[in-house]
Amino acid sequence: MKRIISLTLVLMIIMAFAVGCTGTDNGADGGFDTSQTINVISREDGSGTRGAFVEIVGIVDENDNDLTTVDAVVQNSTNGVMTTVAGDEYSIGYISLGSLNDTVKALKVEGVEATAENVKSGEYKIARPFNIAFQSGLSELAKDFVNFILSAQGQAIVEENGFIAALDGEEYTPSGLTGTIVVAGSTSVTPVMEKLAEAYEGLNDGVSIEIQSTGSSAGMTAAMEGSADIGMASRDLKDSEKEVLEYEVIAIDGIAVIVNKENTIEDLTMDDIRSIYLGEITTWDEVE
Amino acid sequence: MKKISFEGFMKGVFMLCATTSILAIILICYFIFSGGVPFIMEYGLKEFLLGTSWRPSNTPPAFGILPMIFGSLVMTLVAVVLGVPIGVLTATYLAKFCDKRLYKILKPCINLMAGIPSIVYGFFALVVIVPLMKDVFGGTGMNIITASILLAIMILPTIIGLSESSIKSVPNSYYEGSIGLGASHERAVMTVVLPAAKSGIISSIILGVGRAIGETMAVILVAGNQPRIPNSLTKGVRTLTTNIVLEMAYAADAHREALIATAVVLFVFILLINAIFLIVKRRTLN
Repeated sequence: MKRIISLTLVLMIIMAFAVGCTGTDNGADGGFDTSQTINVISREDGSGTRGAFVEIVGIVDENDNDLTTVDAVVQNSTNGVMTTVAGDEYSIGYISLGSLNDTVKALKVEGVEATAENVKSGEYKIARPFNIAFQSGLSELAKDFVNFILSAQGQAIVEENGFIAALDGEEYTPSGLTGTIVVAGSTSVTPVMEKLAEAYEGLNDGVSIEIQSTGSSAGMTAAMEGSADIGMASRDLKDSEKEVLEYEVIAIDGIAVIVNKENTIEDLTMDDIRSIYLGEITTWDEVE
Repeated sequence: MKKISFEGFMKGVFMLCATTSILAIILICYFIFSGGVPFIMEYGLKEFLLGTSWRPSNTPPAFGILPMIFGSLVMTLVAVVLGVPIGVLTATYLAKFCDKRLYKILKPCINLMAGIPSIVYGFFALVVIVPLMKDVFGGTGMNIITASILLAIMILPTIIGLSESSIKSVPNSYYEGSIGLGASHERAVMTVVLPAAKSGIISSIILGVGRAIGETMAVILVAGNQPRIPNSLTKGVRTLTTNIVLEMAYAADAHREALIATAVVLFVFILLINAIFLIVKRRTLN
Protein backbone atom coordinates (compact mmCIF):
# COMPACT_ATOMS: atom_id res chain seq x y z
CA MET A 1 0.00 0.00 0.00
CA LYS A 2 2.72 2.44 1.08
CA ARG A 3 4.78 1.49 -1.92
CA ILE A 4 1.88 2.29 -4.23
CA ILE A 5 1.40 5.68 -2.64
CA SER A 6 5.07 6.56 -2.91
CA LEU A 7 5.14 5.35 -6.51
CA THR A 8 2.17 7.54 -7.43
CA LEU A 9 3.85 10.49 -5.73
CA VAL A 10 7.05 9.99 -7.70
CA LEU A 11 5.02 9.60 -10.92
CA MET A 12 3.15 12.82 -10.20
CA ILE A 13 6.39 14.73 -9.69
CA ILE A 14 7.83 13.36 -12.94
CA MET A 15 4.63 14.27 -14.79
CA ALA A 16 4.70 17.79 -13.37
CA PHE A 17 8.23 18.19 -14.72
CA ALA A 18 7.23 16.76 -18.09
CA VAL A 19 4.28 19.16 -18.38
CA GLY A 20 6.54 22.06 -17.49
CA CYS A 21 9.05 21.11 -20.16
CA THR A 22 6.56 20.61 -22.98
CA GLY A 23 5.03 23.94 -22.03
CA THR A 24 8.36 25.61 -22.77
CA ASP A 25 8.56 23.96 -26.18
CA ASN A 26 5.11 25.15 -27.20
CA GLY A 27 5.87 28.71 -26.19
CA ALA A 28 9.03 28.93 -28.29
CA ASP A 29 7.54 28.41 -31.75
CA GLY A 30 4.31 30.33 -31.24
CA GLY A 31 5.21 33.49 -33.20
CA PHE A 32 3.87 36.88 -32.22
CA ASP A 33 0.24 36.75 -31.11
CA THR A 34 -1.32 40.23 -31.08
CA SER A 35 -4.27 39.18 -28.93
CA GLN A 36 -1.88 38.86 -26.00
CA THR A 37 -1.83 41.30 -23.12
CA ILE A 38 0.73 44.08 -23.24
CA ASN A 39 3.19 43.73 -20.38
CA VAL A 40 4.00 47.27 -19.39
CA ILE A 41 7.48 47.84 -17.91
CA SER A 42 8.16 51.04 -16.05
CA ARG A 43 10.96 52.57 -13.98
CA GLU A 44 10.60 53.18 -10.27
CA ASP A 45 9.01 56.31 -8.86
CA GLY A 46 11.54 59.13 -8.55
CA SER A 47 13.65 58.01 -11.53
CA GLY A 48 14.62 60.89 -13.83
CA THR A 49 13.84 58.80 -16.91
CA ARG A 50 10.36 58.00 -15.64
CA GLY A 51 9.71 61.61 -14.64
CA ALA A 52 10.69 62.88 -18.10
CA PHE A 53 8.84 60.12 -19.94
CA VAL A 54 5.49 60.56 -18.20
CA GLU A 55 5.70 64.32 -18.58
CA ILE A 56 6.48 64.31 -22.31
CA VAL A 57 4.05 61.55 -23.25
CA GLY A 58 1.37 63.05 -21.02
CA ILE A 59 0.82 60.22 -18.54
CA VAL A 60 -0.01 62.87 -15.94
CA ASP A 61 -3.10 64.60 -14.67
CA GLU A 62 -3.60 68.39 -14.54
CA ASN A 63 -1.40 68.63 -11.43
CA ASP A 64 1.49 66.78 -13.09
CA ASN A 65 0.78 63.68 -11.03
CA ASP A 66 2.18 60.44 -12.41
CA LEU A 67 -0.66 58.21 -13.64
CA THR A 68 1.36 55.19 -14.84
CA THR A 69 -0.80 52.08 -14.46
CA VAL A 70 -0.19 50.22 -11.21
CA ASP A 71 -0.12 46.98 -13.20
CA ALA A 72 3.21 48.01 -14.73
CA VAL A 73 6.19 45.88 -13.77
CA VAL A 74 8.75 48.11 -12.06
CA GLN A 75 12.47 47.75 -12.77
CA ASN A 76 14.96 50.01 -11.05
CA SER A 77 17.61 50.31 -13.74
CA THR A 78 17.97 50.82 -17.48
CA ASN A 79 19.53 47.37 -17.73
CA GLY A 80 16.65 45.81 -15.81
CA VAL A 81 14.15 47.24 -18.29
CA MET A 82 16.21 46.03 -21.26
CA THR A 83 16.66 42.51 -19.90
CA THR A 84 12.97 42.18 -19.14
CA VAL A 85 11.89 43.43 -22.57
CA ALA A 86 14.50 41.25 -24.32
CA GLY A 87 13.16 38.20 -22.49
CA ASP A 88 9.45 38.82 -22.90
CA GLU A 89 7.82 39.03 -26.34
CA TYR A 90 4.80 40.99 -25.19
CA SER A 91 6.40 43.69 -23.09
CA ILE A 92 7.07 47.36 -23.73
CA GLY A 93 9.48 49.65 -21.89
CA TYR A 94 11.47 52.86 -22.19
CA ILE A 95 15.17 53.62 -21.78
CA SER A 96 17.72 56.32 -22.45
CA LEU A 97 18.58 56.45 -26.17
CA GLY A 98 22.29 56.45 -25.27
CA SER A 99 21.89 52.97 -23.69
CA LEU A 100 20.00 51.37 -26.57
CA ASN A 101 21.53 48.24 -28.10
CA ASP A 102 20.40 45.49 -30.45
CA THR A 103 18.94 43.12 -27.83
CA VAL A 104 15.67 45.05 -28.12
CA LYS A 105 13.80 46.97 -30.81
CA ALA A 106 13.21 50.71 -30.57
CA LEU A 107 9.81 51.74 -31.93
CA LYS A 108 9.17 54.68 -34.20
CA VAL A 109 7.09 57.34 -32.51
CA GLU A 110 4.61 59.12 -34.82
CA GLY A 111 6.54 57.55 -37.72
CA VAL A 112 9.87 59.05 -36.63
CA GLU A 113 12.78 56.74 -35.90
CA ALA A 114 14.55 57.09 -32.55
CA THR A 115 17.96 58.36 -33.64
CA ALA A 116 20.26 61.11 -32.40
CA GLU A 117 19.68 63.10 -35.62
CA ASN A 118 15.91 63.05 -35.23
CA VAL A 119 16.18 64.09 -31.60
CA LYS A 120 18.43 67.00 -32.57
CA SER A 121 16.10 68.16 -35.34
CA GLY A 122 13.22 68.01 -32.91
CA GLU A 123 11.21 65.51 -34.99
CA TYR A 124 11.52 62.74 -32.38
CA LYS A 125 9.36 64.03 -29.61
CA ILE A 126 10.42 62.04 -26.54
CA ALA A 127 13.61 63.80 -25.47
CA ARG A 128 14.77 65.35 -22.26
CA PRO A 129 17.57 67.65 -21.20
CA PHE A 130 20.52 66.66 -19.06
CA ASN A 131 21.01 69.53 -16.64
CA ILE A 132 23.74 70.64 -14.33
CA ALA A 133 22.80 72.98 -11.52
CA PHE A 134 24.81 75.01 -9.05
CA GLN A 135 24.49 77.87 -6.60
CA SER A 136 25.28 81.40 -7.77
CA GLY A 137 28.43 81.67 -5.66
CA LEU A 138 30.27 78.99 -7.62
CA SER A 139 34.06 78.72 -7.14
CA GLU A 140 36.36 79.90 -9.97
CA LEU A 141 37.46 76.35 -10.61
CA ALA A 142 33.96 74.90 -10.78
CA LYS A 143 32.93 77.77 -13.05
CA ASP A 144 35.81 76.90 -15.33
CA PHE A 145 34.69 73.26 -15.41
CA VAL A 146 31.18 74.36 -16.38
CA ASN A 147 32.69 76.47 -19.16
CA PHE A 148 34.62 73.43 -20.34
CA ILE A 149 31.46 71.29 -20.43
CA LEU A 150 29.71 73.90 -22.55
CA SER A 151 32.73 74.45 -24.83
CA ALA A 152 33.28 72.90 -28.24
CA GLN A 153 35.53 70.19 -26.73
CA GLY A 154 33.07 69.37 -23.97
CA GLN A 155 30.12 69.12 -26.32
CA ALA A 156 32.15 66.90 -28.66
CA ILE A 157 32.57 64.45 -25.75
CA VAL A 158 28.81 64.56 -25.18
CA GLU A 159 28.21 63.56 -28.82
CA GLU A 160 30.81 60.78 -28.69
CA ASN A 161 28.79 59.19 -25.89
CA GLY A 162 25.61 58.92 -27.92
CA PHE A 163 23.86 62.03 -26.67
CA ILE A 164 23.01 65.20 -28.49
CA ALA A 165 25.04 68.36 -27.91
CA ALA A 166 23.02 71.14 -26.33
CA LEU A 167 24.82 74.01 -28.05
CA ASP A 168 27.69 74.92 -30.37
CA GLY A 169 30.23 76.02 -27.79
CA GLU A 170 33.37 78.07 -28.16
CA GLU A 171 36.90 76.75 -27.93
CA TYR A 172 38.11 76.12 -24.35
CA THR A 173 41.53 77.20 -23.11
CA PRO A 174 42.90 75.66 -19.90
CA SER A 175 42.89 78.08 -17.01
CA GLY A 176 45.64 76.58 -14.87
CA LEU A 177 43.46 76.57 -11.72
CA THR A 178 43.89 73.77 -9.19
CA GLY A 179 41.66 72.17 -6.55
CA THR A 180 38.78 69.75 -6.10
CA ILE A 181 35.28 69.75 -7.54
CA VAL A 182 32.45 67.55 -6.22
CA VAL A 183 29.74 66.59 -8.73
CA ALA A 184 26.67 64.60 -7.63
CA GLY A 185 23.41 63.45 -9.14
CA SER A 186 21.69 61.48 -11.88
CA THR A 187 22.87 57.97 -12.67
CA SER A 188 21.99 58.60 -16.33
CA VAL A 189 24.27 61.64 -16.58
CA THR A 190 27.12 60.07 -14.61
CA PRO A 191 28.75 58.10 -17.49
CA VAL A 192 29.13 61.16 -19.72
CA MET A 193 30.15 63.31 -16.72
CA GLU A 194 32.96 60.85 -15.98
CA LYS A 195 34.28 61.27 -19.52
CA LEU A 196 34.04 65.05 -19.22
CA ALA A 197 35.86 65.03 -15.89
CA GLU A 198 38.60 62.79 -17.29
CA ALA A 199 39.18 65.14 -20.22
CA TYR A 200 39.17 68.20 -17.95
CA GLU A 201 41.66 66.65 -15.55
CA GLY A 202 43.84 65.84 -18.56
CA LEU A 203 43.87 69.50 -19.59
CA ASN A 204 44.36 70.94 -16.11
CA ASP A 205 47.01 69.44 -13.85
CA GLY A 206 46.24 69.49 -10.15
CA VAL A 207 42.47 69.30 -10.52
CA SER A 208 40.55 66.35 -9.13
CA ILE A 209 36.86 65.84 -9.76
CA GLU A 210 34.83 63.58 -7.51
CA ILE A 211 31.62 62.21 -9.04
CA GLN A 212 28.85 60.74 -6.90
CA SER A 213 26.15 58.82 -8.73
CA THR A 214 23.18 59.30 -6.42
CA GLY A 215 20.12 60.12 -8.54
CA SER A 216 18.69 63.37 -9.89
CA SER A 217 16.78 64.46 -6.81
CA ALA A 218 19.64 63.65 -4.47
CA GLY A 219 22.00 65.60 -6.74
CA MET A 220 19.82 68.70 -6.66
CA THR A 221 19.56 68.43 -2.87
CA ALA A 222 23.35 68.11 -2.61
CA ALA A 223 23.84 71.24 -4.73
CA MET A 224 21.31 73.19 -2.65
CA GLU A 225 22.86 72.08 0.63
CA GLY A 226 26.35 72.75 -0.66
CA SER A 227 27.65 69.22 -0.16
CA ALA A 228 28.32 69.15 -3.91
CA ASP A 229 29.55 72.00 -6.12
CA ILE A 230 27.56 70.87 -9.11
CA GLY A 231 24.39 68.73 -9.24
CA MET A 232 23.36 66.62 -12.25
CA ALA A 233 19.74 66.00 -13.23
CA SER A 234 18.32 63.89 -16.05
CA ARG A 235 15.08 65.87 -15.95
CA ASP A 236 13.90 69.46 -15.92
CA LEU A 237 14.45 71.24 -12.64
CA LYS A 238 11.46 71.59 -10.36
CA ASP A 239 10.30 75.11 -9.56
CA SER A 240 11.52 74.81 -5.98
CA GLU A 241 14.97 73.92 -7.30
CA LYS A 242 15.02 76.70 -9.89
CA GLU A 243 14.48 79.27 -7.15
CA VAL A 244 17.78 78.40 -5.46
CA LEU A 245 19.94 77.06 -8.27
CA GLU A 246 21.28 78.26 -11.58
CA TYR A 247 21.29 75.61 -14.27
CA GLU A 248 22.64 74.81 -17.72
CA VAL A 249 21.52 72.21 -20.24
CA ILE A 250 24.63 70.18 -21.13
CA ALA A 251 23.10 67.58 -23.44
CA ILE A 252 19.86 66.27 -24.86
CA ASP A 253 18.94 62.60 -24.51
CA GLY A 254 16.18 60.84 -26.37
CA ILE A 255 14.05 58.24 -24.60
CA ALA A 256 13.55 55.17 -26.76
CA VAL A 257 10.34 53.17 -26.47
CA ILE A 258 11.46 49.56 -26.72
CA VAL A 259 9.75 46.24 -27.43
CA ASN A 260 10.91 42.66 -27.93
CA LYS A 261 12.50 41.84 -31.28
CA GLU A 262 9.72 39.31 -31.98
CA ASN A 263 7.16 42.10 -31.81
CA THR A 264 5.68 42.87 -35.27
CA ILE A 265 4.69 46.40 -34.39
CA GLU A 266 7.06 49.09 -35.69
CA ASP A 267 5.36 52.36 -35.06
CA LEU A 268 3.21 53.84 -32.27
CA THR A 269 1.58 57.23 -31.91
CA MET A 270 2.05 59.30 -28.77
CA ASP A 271 -1.62 58.62 -27.96
CA ASP A 272 -1.07 54.86 -28.19
CA ILE A 273 1.93 55.00 -25.87
CA ARG A 274 -0.02 57.20 -23.49
CA SER A 275 -3.00 54.83 -23.45
CA ILE A 276 -0.73 51.81 -22.92
CA TYR A 277 0.96 53.41 -19.93
CA LEU A 278 -2.36 54.62 -18.54
CA GLY A 279 -3.61 51.04 -18.72
CA GLU A 280 -6.43 51.91 -21.17
CA ILE A 281 -5.06 49.73 -23.95
CA THR A 282 -4.18 46.28 -22.69
CA THR A 283 -3.70 44.05 -25.75
CA TRP A 284 -1.42 44.43 -28.75
CA ASP A 285 -4.18 44.15 -31.40
CA GLU A 286 -5.67 47.42 -30.14
CA VAL A 287 -2.65 49.38 -31.39
CA GLU A 288 -1.97 47.48 -34.60
CA MET B 1 49.59 39.18 40.35
CA LYS B 2 50.56 39.88 36.80
CA LYS B 3 48.69 36.82 35.64
CA ILE B 4 45.46 37.95 37.28
CA SER B 5 45.59 41.42 35.79
CA PHE B 6 46.20 39.92 32.36
CA GLU B 7 43.18 37.70 32.92
CA GLY B 8 41.15 40.72 33.95
CA PHE B 9 42.31 42.54 30.84
CA MET B 10 41.34 39.67 28.56
CA LYS B 11 37.99 39.43 30.32
CA GLY B 12 37.44 43.04 29.41
CA VAL B 13 38.38 42.38 25.78
CA PHE B 14 35.94 39.50 25.59
CA MET B 15 33.19 41.57 27.16
CA LEU B 16 33.86 44.37 24.69
CA CYS B 17 33.46 41.91 21.84
CA ALA B 18 30.22 40.67 23.33
CA THR B 19 28.81 44.17 23.72
CA THR B 20 29.67 45.13 20.13
CA SER B 21 26.70 43.24 18.78
CA ILE B 22 24.38 44.76 21.38
CA LEU B 23 25.72 48.18 20.52
CA ALA B 24 25.11 47.52 16.84
CA ILE B 25 21.49 46.53 17.54
CA ILE B 26 20.91 49.66 19.63
CA LEU B 27 22.42 51.87 16.93
CA ILE B 28 20.32 50.24 14.21
CA CYS B 29 17.16 50.64 16.30
CA TYR B 30 17.98 54.26 17.00
CA PHE B 31 18.73 55.13 13.38
CA ILE B 32 15.71 53.36 11.93
CA PHE B 33 13.21 54.62 14.47
CA SER B 34 14.49 58.19 14.67
CA GLY B 35 14.42 58.36 10.87
CA GLY B 36 11.04 56.75 10.36
CA VAL B 37 8.82 57.45 13.33
CA PRO B 38 8.62 61.28 12.88
CA PHE B 39 7.45 60.71 9.32
CA ILE B 40 4.78 58.23 10.41
CA MET B 41 3.56 60.69 13.06
CA GLU B 42 3.37 63.47 10.52
CA TYR B 43 1.73 61.46 7.79
CA GLY B 44 -0.59 59.51 10.09
CA LEU B 45 -0.09 55.93 11.18
CA LYS B 46 -3.43 54.80 9.81
CA GLU B 47 -2.92 56.45 6.40
CA PHE B 48 0.57 55.01 6.20
CA LEU B 49 -0.26 51.43 7.17
CA LEU B 50 -3.69 51.17 5.57
CA GLY B 51 -3.30 53.45 2.55
CA THR B 52 -3.56 51.49 -0.70
CA SER B 53 -1.94 54.04 -2.98
CA TRP B 54 1.83 54.49 -3.29
CA ARG B 55 2.50 57.60 -5.40
CA PRO B 56 5.50 59.33 -3.84
CA SER B 57 6.04 61.80 -6.71
CA ASN B 58 2.51 63.17 -6.77
CA THR B 59 1.35 66.43 -5.23
CA PRO B 60 0.21 65.70 -2.61
CA PRO B 61 2.18 62.46 -2.45
CA ALA B 62 0.50 59.24 -1.37
CA PHE B 63 2.51 56.91 0.87
CA GLY B 64 0.21 53.95 1.56
CA ILE B 65 2.16 50.76 2.21
CA LEU B 66 -0.75 48.34 2.63
CA PRO B 67 0.01 46.77 -0.79
CA MET B 68 3.59 46.10 0.33
CA ILE B 69 2.56 44.70 3.72
CA PHE B 70 0.02 42.52 1.95
CA GLY B 71 2.63 41.50 -0.63
CA SER B 72 5.19 40.49 2.00
CA LEU B 73 2.63 38.48 3.96
CA VAL B 74 1.04 36.67 1.01
CA MET B 75 4.38 35.85 -0.56
CA THR B 76 5.70 34.50 2.74
CA LEU B 77 2.54 32.52 3.40
CA VAL B 78 2.63 30.80 0.00
CA ALA B 79 6.36 30.16 0.41
CA VAL B 80 5.71 28.52 3.78
CA VAL B 81 2.87 26.41 2.38
CA LEU B 82 5.18 25.20 -0.39
CA GLY B 83 8.41 24.97 1.58
CA VAL B 84 7.44 23.62 4.99
CA PRO B 85 6.16 20.17 3.94
CA ILE B 86 9.24 19.62 1.78
CA GLY B 87 11.55 20.90 4.51
CA VAL B 88 10.04 18.93 7.39
CA LEU B 89 9.79 15.71 5.38
CA THR B 90 13.39 16.14 4.22
CA ALA B 91 14.48 16.62 7.81
CA THR B 92 12.56 13.49 8.89
CA TYR B 93 14.14 11.52 6.08
CA LEU B 94 17.63 12.73 6.95
CA ALA B 95 17.17 12.00 10.64
CA LYS B 96 15.39 8.65 10.54
CA PHE B 97 15.32 7.01 7.10
CA CYS B 98 18.41 8.03 5.18
CA ASP B 99 21.27 5.54 4.89
CA LYS B 100 24.72 6.78 5.90
CA ARG B 101 26.32 7.00 2.47
CA LEU B 102 23.47 9.08 1.02
CA TYR B 103 23.48 11.26 4.14
CA LYS B 104 27.11 12.15 3.49
CA ILE B 105 26.08 13.57 0.12
CA LEU B 106 22.74 15.12 1.08
CA LYS B 107 23.82 16.98 4.19
CA PRO B 108 26.66 19.00 2.59
CA CYS B 109 24.34 19.82 -0.33
CA ILE B 110 21.79 21.32 2.04
CA ASN B 111 24.49 23.24 3.88
CA LEU B 112 25.71 24.55 0.56
CA MET B 113 22.18 25.78 -0.22
CA ALA B 114 22.33 27.96 2.86
CA GLY B 115 25.55 29.54 1.69
CA ILE B 116 24.54 30.52 -1.83
CA PRO B 117 24.16 34.33 -2.12
CA SER B 118 20.55 35.39 -2.56
CA ILE B 119 21.22 37.28 -5.77
CA VAL B 120 22.35 33.98 -7.31
CA TYR B 121 19.02 32.42 -6.30
CA GLY B 122 17.31 35.42 -7.87
CA PHE B 123 19.16 34.99 -11.11
CA PHE B 124 18.35 31.27 -11.15
CA ALA B 125 14.66 32.11 -10.70
CA LEU B 126 14.83 34.75 -13.42
CA VAL B 127 16.19 32.36 -16.05
CA VAL B 128 14.43 29.15 -14.97
CA ILE B 129 11.22 29.78 -13.02
CA VAL B 130 10.10 32.99 -14.75
CA PRO B 131 9.99 31.53 -18.30
CA LEU B 132 8.21 28.44 -16.94
CA MET B 133 5.58 30.58 -15.21
CA LYS B 134 5.17 32.66 -18.35
CA ASP B 135 4.21 29.55 -20.29
CA VAL B 136 1.88 28.27 -17.60
CA PHE B 137 0.08 31.44 -16.55
CA GLY B 138 0.88 33.94 -19.32
CA GLY B 139 1.86 37.52 -18.60
CA THR B 140 5.44 38.36 -17.67
CA GLY B 141 5.97 35.32 -15.47
CA MET B 142 6.91 37.67 -12.64
CA ASN B 143 4.26 37.02 -10.03
CA ILE B 144 3.57 35.92 -6.47
CA ILE B 145 3.86 32.22 -7.28
CA THR B 146 7.27 32.65 -8.93
CA ALA B 147 8.62 34.61 -5.99
CA SER B 148 7.06 32.18 -3.51
CA ILE B 149 8.60 29.13 -5.18
CA LEU B 150 11.95 30.90 -5.03
CA LEU B 151 11.47 31.78 -1.37
CA ALA B 152 10.33 28.24 -0.58
CA ILE B 153 13.65 26.98 -1.97
CA MET B 154 15.58 29.62 -0.05
CA ILE B 155 14.02 28.81 3.33
CA LEU B 156 14.59 25.05 2.92
CA PRO B 157 18.08 24.97 4.52
CA THR B 158 16.84 26.87 7.59
CA ILE B 159 13.87 24.56 8.07
CA ILE B 160 15.73 21.34 7.31
CA GLY B 161 18.72 22.12 9.53
CA LEU B 162 16.74 23.09 12.63
CA SER B 163 14.03 20.46 12.21
CA GLU B 164 16.59 17.73 11.74
CA SER B 165 18.46 18.57 14.91
CA SER B 166 15.23 18.81 16.90
CA ILE B 167 14.10 15.41 15.59
CA LYS B 168 17.49 13.95 16.45
CA SER B 169 17.33 15.38 19.98
CA VAL B 170 14.11 13.49 20.79
CA PRO B 171 15.18 10.84 23.37
CA ASN B 172 15.68 7.49 21.69
CA SER B 173 13.50 5.84 24.37
CA TYR B 174 10.39 7.39 22.72
CA TYR B 175 11.20 5.59 19.51
CA GLU B 176 12.23 2.36 21.21
CA GLY B 177 9.11 2.41 23.37
CA SER B 178 6.75 2.69 20.42
CA ILE B 179 8.66 -0.02 18.54
CA GLY B 180 8.38 -2.16 21.66
CA LEU B 181 4.62 -1.64 21.63
CA GLY B 182 4.50 -3.08 18.13
CA ALA B 183 4.58 0.03 15.91
CA SER B 184 6.41 -0.15 12.61
CA HIS B 185 9.45 2.10 11.99
CA GLU B 186 7.39 4.60 9.94
CA ARG B 187 4.58 4.67 12.46
CA ALA B 188 6.97 5.24 15.34
CA VAL B 189 8.70 8.10 13.54
CA MET B 190 5.57 9.82 12.22
CA THR B 191 3.30 9.49 15.24
CA VAL B 192 5.72 9.52 18.18
CA VAL B 193 9.06 11.13 17.31
CA LEU B 194 7.75 13.95 15.08
CA PRO B 195 5.10 15.18 17.54
CA ALA B 196 7.73 15.10 20.28
CA ALA B 197 9.93 17.38 18.15
CA LYS B 198 6.98 19.67 17.41
CA SER B 199 8.22 22.83 19.07
CA GLY B 200 11.66 22.60 17.44
CA ILE B 201 10.00 22.18 14.08
CA ILE B 202 7.72 25.14 14.72
CA SER B 203 10.72 27.29 15.66
CA SER B 204 12.39 26.30 12.41
CA ILE B 205 9.29 27.38 10.51
CA ILE B 206 9.23 30.72 12.32
CA LEU B 207 12.88 31.35 11.46
CA GLY B 208 12.06 30.39 7.87
CA VAL B 209 9.27 32.97 7.86
CA GLY B 210 11.76 35.55 9.13
CA ARG B 211 14.15 34.73 6.34
CA ALA B 212 11.39 34.86 3.71
CA ILE B 213 9.97 38.19 4.85
CA GLY B 214 13.40 39.81 4.93
CA GLU B 215 14.59 38.50 1.57
CA THR B 216 15.24 41.28 -0.93
CA MET B 217 17.73 40.90 -3.72
CA ALA B 218 16.33 37.65 -5.08
CA VAL B 219 12.72 38.76 -4.85
CA ILE B 220 13.32 42.09 -6.58
CA LEU B 221 14.28 40.28 -9.77
CA VAL B 222 11.20 38.10 -10.05
CA ALA B 223 8.28 39.70 -8.21
CA GLY B 224 7.29 42.35 -10.76
CA ASN B 225 7.32 45.05 -8.07
CA GLN B 226 3.93 46.62 -8.78
CA PRO B 227 2.79 48.68 -5.79
CA ARG B 228 -0.82 47.52 -5.68
CA ILE B 229 -2.82 44.82 -3.94
CA PRO B 230 -2.89 41.89 -6.38
CA ASN B 231 -6.21 40.22 -7.12
CA SER B 232 -4.72 36.81 -7.87
CA LEU B 233 -1.60 34.79 -7.21
CA THR B 234 -0.53 35.17 -10.83
CA LYS B 235 -0.16 38.94 -10.48
CA GLY B 236 3.06 40.73 -9.60
CA VAL B 237 3.59 42.18 -6.17
CA ARG B 238 5.91 44.46 -4.24
CA THR B 239 7.22 43.61 -0.80
CA LEU B 240 8.36 45.90 2.02
CA THR B 241 12.01 45.08 1.39
CA THR B 242 11.94 45.59 -2.37
CA ASN B 243 10.07 48.88 -1.96
CA ILE B 244 13.02 50.27 -0.01
CA VAL B 245 15.72 49.03 -2.37
CA LEU B 246 13.88 50.03 -5.56
CA GLU B 247 13.42 53.66 -4.73
CA MET B 248 16.17 54.59 -2.28
CA ALA B 249 18.59 55.73 -4.99
CA TYR B 250 16.39 58.52 -6.29
CA ALA B 251 14.36 59.33 -3.21
CA ALA B 252 14.55 62.73 -1.56
CA ASP B 253 12.83 64.49 1.34
CA ALA B 254 9.49 62.97 2.36
CA HIS B 255 9.90 60.10 -0.10
CA ARG B 256 13.16 59.07 1.56
CA GLU B 257 11.63 59.32 5.01
CA ALA B 258 8.70 57.20 3.83
CA LEU B 259 11.18 54.51 2.77
CA ILE B 260 12.88 54.59 6.16
CA ALA B 261 9.42 54.37 7.73
CA THR B 262 8.84 51.30 5.57
CA ALA B 263 11.97 49.87 7.17
CA VAL B 264 10.44 50.60 10.59
CA VAL B 265 7.39 48.50 9.69
CA LEU B 266 9.63 45.71 8.42
CA PHE B 267 11.71 45.92 11.58
CA VAL B 268 8.61 45.60 13.75
CA PHE B 269 7.59 42.53 11.73
CA ILE B 270 10.99 40.93 12.33
CA LEU B 271 10.82 41.78 16.05
CA LEU B 272 7.40 40.15 16.27
CA ILE B 273 8.63 37.03 14.52
CA ASN B 274 11.62 36.81 16.86
CA ALA B 275 9.39 37.34 19.89
CA ILE B 276 7.16 34.47 18.79
CA PHE B 277 10.27 32.36 18.24
CA LEU B 278 11.49 33.06 21.78
CA ILE B 279 8.08 32.27 23.28
CA VAL B 280 7.88 28.96 21.43
CA LYS B 281 11.42 28.12 22.50
CA ARG B 282 10.80 28.99 26.14
CA ARG B 283 7.71 26.83 26.20
CA THR B 284 9.87 23.91 25.03
CA LEU B 285 12.30 24.39 27.86
CA ASN B 286 9.62 24.39 30.53
